[in-house]
Amino acid sequence: MNGKKLACVVLMIFIGIATYAGQIVHQKAAAKRTEAETAESDANAAKSELEIAETRTTKLRYDSDELRRFLTAWTPHIDRVQTQSEVEESILASLRNASMLILSQKFEVRDNRSTPVIPKIVRASLVLEDDYAKTLNWVGELERRLPLARMMNCRITGGENGRQVHAEITLEIPLINLLAEMPVVASATTKKPSA
Amino acid sequence: MSQYLCHDFKTPRTDMSRRLPGSMRVVPIFFYAVALATAFFVFNDMRALQQAEQDRLAAIARKDEYIAAKTTLDSEKTTIDAELFRAEAVAKWVEGTRVLQPITVAIARAVPLETNITELNLERSADLPAQVSMLVRLNNSTLAEVAKIESSVNRLHYRSFSPSQAKQGDLIEFRSMLVWQEH
Repeated sequence: MNGKKLACVVLMIFIGIATYAGQIVHQKAAAKRTEAETAESDANAAKSELEIAETRTTKLRYDSDELRRFLTAWTPHIDRVQTQSEVEESILASLRNASMLILSQKFEVRDNRSTPVIPKIVRASLVLEDDYAKTLNWVGELERRLPLARMMNCRITGGENGRQVHAEITLEIPLINLLAEMPVVASATTKKPSA
Repeated sequence: MSQYLCHDFKTPRTDMSRRLPGSMRVVPIFFYAVALATAFFVFNDMRALQQAEQDRLAAIARKDEYIAAKTTLDSEKTTIDAELFRAEAVAKWVEGTRVLQPITVAIARAVPLETNITELNLERSADLPAQVSMLVRLNNSTLAEVAKIESSVNRLHYRSFSPSQAKQGDLIEFRSMLVWQEH
């Protein structure tokens, strides 16, 4: 092989190296472009999800507005009675203010498992005997003072004399926890009992 | 001085290499062409590479921004859901707290003075607190008073379900299930 042929071979080697290097750079550029396109499509997907979340939240905000305003309106009444003693104090204060004759009174706390928002209910059982008008006015005043109280039973019969009535009243007052969290929904993949 | 005569073109010269074959002559031309093409494509690819990297970083930044905004919205939704859960529980309770005092007053006002209400019992259903079971025992009265009681209760937006009345001498017993009616 003479010098010219050797030079040609060297040139051909250079040509091969240059072509190979060009291809490598081209492949890298193509791979980077693919990565950029993937990132762009991910960004677009995230944007779509954001738009869906925005729509969903706006709708939820709009739909729940009335109920949330309802809760805001009731919050002061809820905050006023948070313990059994506050319930007792409130009922007894109203009885004292009305100068009602109390024959018996009983307060008991019961656990409520139906919802974590109302973990406890105070049940007040009262037996009163007093003037007819005074008793009915007191019942109205109590329902106004404790708007969350649920009058479960109200039995009014004749009292000792014509003007007096005998009232047996049972009230339930909830102790509401406004910090209660939503219960986690049970997984749908619970095991079925084997046949 | 060369030992060959300058004008001798026929005798093969041994001190010079042979000419390249025709196919090998294009190699240098091909080399330059490839060198130019490679430089052109590498330059373009490098620019595309840089642009793609910038686009990728920008897209990742945008995606992070969207994800952060969505996380904020999800958090707001969770807060609203929790608030709704509490509000629904309170509303459900409040639904069963409609005052009973107006019913007692309305019944008392519905009967005339000569009639005695010997017993008035209002009992709220434990399972359906919006329903109130009513029992009224009247002495020295007629069935007309029962109709008046029913009508006065209806005026308070309570609807009377399955009313029943029993008369025994002057004593009338009236039972009914009162259900609150929305306007």
